[in-house]
Amino acid sequence: MIKTIKASKSEKILFIFLICLSIFAFTSFFLLKNKCLFVEKNNLSKLKFNKPNNIAVMNVECGNVIIELYPDISPKAVERFKILIEQKMYDGSAFYKVSENTFVQAGDIEYGNINNLDYSKIGSGKSGLGLLKSELSNDFKFTEGSVGFARATEFDTEDSEFFITLKEIPIYQGEYTPIGKVVYGLDILTKIKTGNKAIYVLRPDYIKTFRMFNSN
Amino acid sequence: MKILILFFLIFHIYHVNADEIYNLIKIPNLEIYKLKNDNNIRYLSAKGNFKIGVNKNITCEKVDLDNLNSKFSVIEKNINLYNSDFLNKIKLKYIVFCENLFISGINTGGIPDNKNRTLILDINFNKKYFERMIHHEVFHMIQNSHSNVFDENKFSSFNKSSFNYAKCSTCSDKLNLDLYENTNGFLTEYSKSIPSEDMAEIFSFLMTDKETIEDRISSDKILNNKVNFIKLNLAKIDKNIL
Repeated sequence: MIKTIKASKSEKILFIFLICLSIFAFTSFFLLKNKCLFVEKNNLSKLKFNKPNNIAVMNVECGNVIIELYPDISPKAVERFKILIEQKMYDGSAFYKVSENTFVQAGDIEYGNINNLDYSKIGSGKSGLGLLKSELSNDFKFTEGSVGFARATEFDTEDSEFFITLKEIPIYQGEYTPIGKVVYGLDILTKIKTGNKAIYVLRPDYIKTFRMFNSN
Repeated sequence: MKILILFFLIFHIYHVNADEIYNLIKIPNLEIYKLKNDNNIRYLSAKGNFKIGVNKNITCEKVDLDNLNSKFSVIEKNINLYNSDFLNKIKLKYIVFCENLFISGINTGGIPDNKNRTLILDINFNKKYFERMIHHEVFHMIQNSHSNVFDENKFSSFNKSSFNYAKCSTCSDKLNLDLYENTNGFLTEYSKSIPSEDMAEIFSFLMTDKETIEDRISSDKILNNKVNFIKLNLAKIDKNIL
């Protein structure tokens, strides 16, 4: 004859504790893994702009980043930026150079596309549209959310790569060609994967689509 | 083999220190010391030790801010002798302060880097020659950016035919920076190392002790020719520097 043994009070408490712990661990795992969970989404249909022709929408993993372009400050650079967007050349472009809470960089058309990453050459890729002259502004301050054209060590080597600052970087004033500023979605960019303390990111996040606002 | 190269590349990539200043001038562990200046020069200081260059052969240590603060007015006074237009022409925008600067194991006062528009200065360099060292290094930036103007063969031809420079500045033991009593074509022992150091020594004295040089050249024909060469060619870049 088998005797049924009743669980003691302390065993019941331990059992409930273990169940609670596993529920907590399970939910935490999914919550922590979803880096976009608490990021505000930007609904494009609800947004209105004074100069919609100069608004670009960059869609990344956590949502839309809305950028206002400044053709009055750097006409050639903005013209190039718009061409690259309209030709969908930034789609799939990896944020291969990211400094935590400082800046994110993408736009290597040749070697920095997520489908064709080449770490031995990344940062040296060309768009095929030729190099641009730097359009520097001593008045433009690289505050949080500023978008600038990246270049090689020398000036007049801008092509397609761009960076977005995640904090004010006063030393960039007069050093880089400004393209525009992020008007919505800066917090989305802070979720972009960093390379820890390194400047290059392995298995980087990337731009899903990049479109002009009018084309959406 | 490919996997080994990839591993090395990844390891290398992962050990580059990333920040906004590194992104600009390729020197890690720097912070802004003073950004706004009349001649648009920007001063940066090492907040940590750094190693740069081929095989990381350039090393320097972080600055003690009290030490830098005590020396900065002297540095600024000397750098302010150059206007922004001139600094643009010689590709000098950033001055990096650090302590105990070495290149390939040899202690040096400064390292010019025209490509990144940067001059690295060791703030612990010998006090006696410190101001002159600043201008000496600035001259290297001038020459590097205008190598066609400062023709070393022409400059060397002012010396006696029996004299030969060393093959490199650190190839000889002629390192003394004291001014000769009898110049005989050279201001210091270090002037005898290589033509570019000879030119830099002349320029540094012209910037810090012009009267002494004017006095010396009145009785030294070789030195007179060399000084005139420097003055004449500098005037091609900026008439108001000397």
